[in-house]
Order: sequence, then structure tokens, then C-alpha cells
Amino acid sequence: MKAPPSETATRDPLLRLAGINTFYGAVQVHFDVSIEIGAGRIVCLLGGNASGKSTAMKVILGLVRPRSGSIWFDGEPIHGVPTQEIIRRGIASVPEARRLFPAMTVRENLLMGAYARSDKRRVAEDQARVLDLFPRVGERLNQRAGTLSGGEQQMVAMARALMSRPRLICMDEPTMGLSPLFVDRVLDLISAINRQGTTVFMVEQNASLALQVAHHAYVLQTGRIVLEGPARALLHDARIREAYLGGEVAA
Amino acid sequence: MDETGRGGVIAIAAKRSSSAPGGLRQSARRSPNAQSGRRSANTMPKGLSSVVRVLPSDSSECHLGSFIDYTVNGLVVGNIYALLAVGLALIFGVANLINFAHGSVYTIGAYIGWACITCLHTPLPVTMLIVIAACGLVGVIIERVGLRPLQGSARIAPLLATIGISFVLDQLVQLVFSPDPRALPSELPNWQIAIGGGTIGALDILIAGIGLLSAAVLFAFLRFTKLGWAVRATAQDREAALQMGVDVNAVNSAVFAVASALGGLSGLLVGMYYNHIDPAMSFQATLKGVVAQVIGGVGNVPGAIAGSLVLGLIESYGIALLGTTYRNLFAFVLLIAILVWRPNGLFGGRAGTQAEPLTGTFIAPSRPLRVPRPALWMLVALAAALPLAIPSPYVLQTLTNAWLAAMLALSLTLMAGTAGQISLGHAALLSIGAYASALLALDLNVPTLLSVLAAGVVTGALGTLLIFPAFRLRGHYIAIATLAIGEIVGLVILNWESLTRGAIGVTGIPPLSVFGQDIYSAQAVYWLCLAVVIGLALLQMRLLGSHFGRTLRAIRDDDVAARCYGISLDRYKALAFAFGGFGAGISGAITAHLFSYLNYETFNSQVSLSALAIVILGGMGNVLGAIVGAVALVGLPEIFRVTTEYRVLIYGIALLLLIRFRPQGLLGTV
Ligand SMILES: Nc1ncnc2c1ncn2[C@@H]1O[C@H](COP(=O)(O)OP(=O)(O)OP(=O)(O)O)[C@@H](O)[C@H]1O
Ligand SMILES: [Mg+2]
Repeated sequence: MKAPPSETATRDPLLRLAGINTFYGAVQVHFDVSIEIGAGRIVCLLGGNASGKSTAMKVILGLVRPRSGSIWFDGEPIHGVPTQEIIRRGIASVPEARRLFPAMTVRENLLMGAYARSDKRRVAEDQARVLDLFPRVGERLNQRAGTLSGGEQQMVAMARALMSRPRLICMDEPTMGLSPLFVDRVLDLISAINRQGTTVFMVEQNASLALQVAHHAYVLQTGRIVLEGPARALLHDARIREAYLGGEVAA
Repeated sequence: MDETGRGGVIAIAAKRSSSAPGGLRQSARRSPNAQSGRRSANTMPKGLSSVVRVLPSDSSECHLGSFIDYTVNGLVVGNIYALLAVGLALIFGVANLINFAHGSVYTIGAYIGWACITCLHTPLPVTMLIVIAACGLVGVIIERVGLRPLQGSARIAPLLATIGISFVLDQLVQLVFSPDPRALPSELPNWQIAIGGGTIGALDILIAGIGLLSAAVLFAFLRFTKLGWAVRATAQDREAALQMGVDVNAVNSAVFAVASALGGLSGLLVGMYYNHIDPAMSFQATLKGVVAQVIGGVGNVPGAIAGSLVLGLIESYGIALLGTTYRNLFAFVLLIAILVWRPNGLFGGRAGTQAEPLTGTFIAPSRPLRVPRPALWMLVALAAALPLAIPSPYVLQTLTNAWLAAMLALSLTLMAGTAGQISLGHAALLSIGAYASALLALDLNVPTLLSVLAAGVVTGALGTLLIFPAFRLRGHYIAIATLAIGEIVGLVILNWESLTRGAIGVTGIPPLSVFGQDIYSAQAVYWLCLAVVIGLALLQMRLLGSHFGRTLRAIRDDDVAARCYGISLDRYKALAFAFGGFGAGISGAITAHLFSYLNYETFNSQVSLSALAIVILGGMGNVLGAIVGAVALVGLPEIFRVTTEYRVLIYGIALLLLIRFRPQGLLGTV
């Protein structure tokens, strides 16, 4: 107990991962990973392929159980809590590769996003609100989700996540496979969602894009957090530039 | 009540695969004096009832009338299949599983209905409600006990577990209600409407009505209720559904409840329709549901309904043209054709939504137990010396049965374990071998030792040829296809009377003889079988250690990668099947000469499934394990004089426990 209670501890983060060690069978994918996501912020987790980013998101959602470590949401432990309960407490996800329900219409997909809620009228209001944000989704409500373009699917996936009125929204590589135009669109939308009060946790490979909108970032390398800091600082950090923005690429 | 089902393995075996919608009962049902006909069907010996060839009773007078009758019959039977197939499709949707216990729930439904009607005298609506509730509960229990603990294990594990569950449930029904068939009176008024020479009865209308109503309720459930949405979402993308906050376990539970309730209802209706229920109806019901589902596209609910009606009609018209013994042949040939040519079903064009490839086999990672060579030879010597120490013919016969089972298990462990092609129809190889050797010896006077060898070769060749269409299939589909091929073999034997003597079977098969000396003594037979097992096992070990064995395992573990290395999968699989077929054929042939009698049901699906239990017990792909497993599952129960009913129960429970707690088996997978 050397350090006195610091200023950062006075305000608890909305989500905190502490000392997470995750295994798939005998293979360890997280080594003592700790991440804090402050309320109202956009935090991103950067890292190369197979560094364990998606797994980190699954750990938060309770889809993968870490062998040790703890996860706190809004001051309460959520490790060991079933996924549906975690969703109910206010975490929503935009999974890797969108994962819409392909044979359902866009409208049905949106309503699936509100599955954890039981207040029908408010859901209808929220649908209108979400469609304001995603006018393009509104034009496709009766189309089967499987027939949408990749960019449109990304919009629907984000809209679907918002339908649960989450306090924290977790996104796994939201810009993956999108054209530059759509990438900008998505980044703008992430900022807009955040301005409306939703905290965003975002997993990305594309550091330069993610750091444009994020407030804070962590860098994961083969399961270890090797770097963390305010986004602006990282954008100019030599190591980041080296690893992700061109220059010598580290394995 | 008839007593045919009591006693020996063969009689029990015969019971299991004889079909519930058997031919004569049905023709009686649709004959003009339906009511009395239905009664009499019940007193008919079962063996005969499925054999008598049926022609339209009044074919000389009115073809249109019988055409309408056959159409009505096809639609009614199709409706019954639909109640089964819809449940299977729902379960496949959310759990990615073909539920082989579905027919058992159907049987339970029929028996609960019987108990209500004959003991409690409940009116029909109440009976139905009780059946629906009770079977729904059974479904929930199946999901909770048998499947939920298996999440995260090999994809084929839950399928094998449902096979174990079906063993257990069927045997429980037999123990509680006795294996005898029973009459299930329909309680409906006995009126009929005549249309163009055909007739439609009250029960026909009731069944059609229940079919339509169930479809409507199901549609409304899936489309308009929150749980229904969750079911659809889970079926499309389980993990995404989880991330929306769907409790997929609750969804699974609900789906099993709905599916089982419909299945139980189907069993009740079938029982009423034929005025006949027996514990053996379960297996055929599962198969028919699966066939209907495959016709409509696996996991596709509307497709399952359409597929069921198509199947019902095809069977009914087929019977009109060729006779009842062909009924199941149509179903299974259709199944194979669709699996091979249109694996998405007749109506499913949605190739894109196919789930990830079902990886094939049940190989739990493990380090196989190493048995030192001297110990092995010690065991062999011990086994060889046993007849001198314990001359009891009973013990020797029991162990001889174990050696014969071990030959089959060696063959199965090669195919299912080493080559990764789960086979649920392996007993067909025994049948082929047995018939080949018996007919060679009887009709061509070939010396038995030679005929047994020839039977092995014939089985290897024929078995490989038969399984060839299934080579491109994977996982669950292989399991279904092999099951169907196994059934087809039995049905061809039944129908090819000029060669196989049809249902009567082959009698007076000469005993084994060596150089003109007949082998009768239990000791000699024991030594002969032991020698064959050891020979086959040594050969197989040799094979596994060779390049061939390594290649087979490579194919099993990753056939895409193996293909990329330019390995011709088909040739290797074919070689494995040829060798496996040889061993199984010899086992069947020896059995035929020992029994001296043989018919198309001697080696039925139950034999196939117990072989699977043996192989899993020993450890998939493990040569020694196959032998140990055979001794444990065939020899031990007999030595402790466990009766047949309980023995099958033990197989089921053993299978369940193994899959759950020791998937690598006793000696470990190779
Ligand atoms: N279900 C699983 N079973 C076994 N191993 C897994 C599983 N899921 C992921 N892994 C392994 O865990 C490691 C981390 O995977 P993860 O998906 O978290 O990486 P990622 O950082 O998201 O990579 P990418 O940028 O390519 O999406 C990888 O080596 C992967 O092979
Ligand atoms: Mg990822």
C-alpha cells in the first residue's frame, strides 16, 4: 500500500477487467490482462491477429470464462454471471463479422436486439430513435438481413445493439471489410452514439482509424497489454507507429 | 397376446426393427370392415404381419376407389410423420443435432395414451393433453440430463448420447409395459364418408385436423411469441442469439418440450390408427422422421412438413404397386438419393445458410494406454488356455460370442475411429457375410471354411460399394446414411426372395468344418473364433502402424488439409471399408454356421448400435480396446446372467456415461 488513493480511483470505471487469464484448452490467450473503461468514453483495444482481442470481448460478455481474474460492471462483479444477465444489466455487442440473423428481416433483427427488454412501448420509441441515427436501415426494414450489403449489415448490427439501450456497447472490428466511405460513416456513428451517452469499447486492428475517435486505448500483443494511454498520445507513439502505422512490423 | 418376443437376443432383435406401421394392419385398417380388421391385426403373429403382400382388396372393381384410399392413407401417415419430423427439425435447428431418442418419446406417448384410455378411461381430449404434457416433460429431461452436459464436446457426442437415451427409454417402456404389442382403441365413432369409391373415416379427419392445427400453432409460436423469436434466432446463429440476451439453454429446453410433445402426440395417433402399439415402434419412427426431414431439408420446419407428406404418399402408392415389404425400402432409398444429390432437401435452395461443416467423429484427445508386448502375449496365452481350465460350455459360448462381437468391433473401430466415418449400420456387414457364406455352402456346396473366407471378401467388396455414395458426406449425414444403408441391406434381403428365401430365412446352414471334420464342440469353436480375432487384430495393428494408417488418421483429423496434400480420400476410405468389411463379413459368416438359422433381422440395427457402444467403451480406433470392449459388454453381462432387457439398458447407460465422463474409452483413442 505504498501509493495513497489516487485521483483516478475516486471515480470507478464503468467496466473493469482485472488480472484476466484466459485459456482455450491448454493454450493461454490472455496473460494478466487489466482494462478499465471509464463511463462516457470511447476506449479501444488494439492488436494484431490472434492477439486475443475478440476473446477479450467474449470474456466481458460471459461467452468465454477466464480461468482467473475479475470483471466489474458498474461496481458489481459480472464474472460467472450468465450472458443473458450481463446483457440485461446494460452491455450490448456488435460481434465480429456482424452476425446478423440472416433469415430474419431487418426489423426482426432490430427487435432481437431488444430481446432482453420487456417494455414494449419504449422499445418502439427506441426503434424510432435508432432509425433516426441510421436512416439507411429504416429503408430496409422488410428486407432479409442476409441479403444486405456488408456495409448495410454493419449499420444494422450497430442499430441492433443500440436497441437494448445499453450503457456499454462492445464492438469487434466495426470497420472490417468496409469501403473507405463506409468506414468514415461508421466512425462518425460511433462518435455520435458516444455523444448520446453510451460508453463504447471497441476492438480494432486498424490503429490509425480507431485512434481518430477513441479517447483511450490499450495495445494487446500475444495476450499481454503492452501499452496503454490516451488516444492522442498513442497516435504519436513511436511504438504504435512502428507496429501498426507502417514501418517495421513486429511479429 | 403373442409371446414371440420373449427370450433370445435374436427374438428381441427381431422385435426392435419390425415397423410399427406394418403392412397388414394397415390394409386391414382401410378394408371395408375396418373395425374388425383392426382388431384381428393384433392377434396376427408379428413376423407374418409385415410379410404378407398386400394388394388393393377390391382391385378388380374400382381402381379410383383404392387410389383415393391410398391417397388418404398416404396423407394421414404423412401427417403422422410430420408431427415427428417437425420436432426433429426444430431440435436440429437450435441444437444442431439429430435426436435419435425422438422415436422413443413417440413410443412413450403411445403407451401413456394407452394407459390413459384403457386404465383411467379418460376422454380423448384429456388423453391428448396428458400425453402432450408428459412427453413435453420427457423432452425437457432428455435435454437437461443427456445433452446440456455435453456442450463443448465433439459434435457427434450429443447424437451418440441420444442413441444411448433411446436405448434406455425403449427398454424402460419394455420393462414397464412388457414387450408384447397392445391394442389402442381409438374411442372415435366408427363412421366413414364415401368419396368416389374411397372412404374417409373419423380418425383420418382427426389426424389431419391435428396435423393442421399443430402446424398453425407452431407457426404462430415461431412468428409471434418472444420465445418463438428466440428459437428462430438461436437456430440461425446461436452465439449471436446469446449476445442478444437469449437464454439458449431455456430455448433448447423449450424446443425439446415442444418437439417431444408433438412426437408423443404422433405416437398416440399412430397407435389409434393401427389399433396397435409395441415398444419396437420407436426406432422406425425415428428413421421415418429423419427421412422426412432430409427430404424437406434438415432443420427446415416447413420443409419437414412437406417432406413428410411426400414420404407418406410415396410409401402409400409404392405399397399399392409392390407390396408392404417394400415400404421402408422406398423411404431409405429416397433418403440416400437425397443425401447424395440434394443434401439441402427437395425444397431447400438455401445452400448459403448451411451451418459450418459437421466435423465427423468422436475422437477425444487422449494418450492411449500402452500395453507392453509380453503382457499382450500373456493375455493371448491365457485366453487360449481358458477352455482347458474352465470347460463349461456356457462360459465358452459366451466368450465365443464376445470374440464374434470383437471382430465386428475391430471393423467398426477402424472405420469410425481410425477413418472417422461413424457407421450406424454396421450390422449390415454381418448380414451380408452371413448370407454369403450360408448360401455358398447350401446352394453351391462350398466347404464352409472356404465359404467363410469368400464371405469376407464378398462383404468387403459389397460393403465398400454400398457405402461409396456416402463418402462425400460428413458427420451427422454419414451417420444417417450408414443407418439407412444398413436398413436397405436388410430390406433387400427380405425382398430378394429368389436368392435369400425372403422372410422365411435360411435354415439348415451346415456347421463349420475343417477338412471334412465338423466342428461342434464349444472348445473348438472357441479356439477357432479366438484365432480369427487375433489374426484380424494383428493385421489391423500392422495396418495402423503403416503409412496407410497414418493417412487415414490424417484424413479423419482434417480431410480438407488431407485433400490439399493431394491424398485421394476416396481410395483410402474405400480400402479401410474393404478391410473392415472383410472382418465383419467373417464374423457374420461364422455366426451363421454356428446358429444354423438366419433371417433378415438376425443382425439388426440394435446389433449395430451395441457395436458402437463396444467401440466407444474400448476407445475409438483402439484395436485392443475393441476386444476388451466386446468382452466387457457382451461377455460380462451374459456371465452374470443379466436378462436381455436389462442388457440393452446397460448398453444405453454405459454409452451415456462414457460419452459424458470418459469419451476416450477405457484404453484411450488412437
Ligand atoms: N473457440 C476457440 N477455441 C480455441 N482457440 C481459440 C478459440 N477462439 C480463439 N482461439 C485462439 O485464441 C487466440 C486469440 O483469438 P482471438 O479471436 O481473440 O484473436 P483476435 O485478436 O480477435 O484476432 P483477429 O484480429 O484475427 O480477429 C487465437 O490464437 C485463436 O486461434
Ligand atoms: Mg477477432
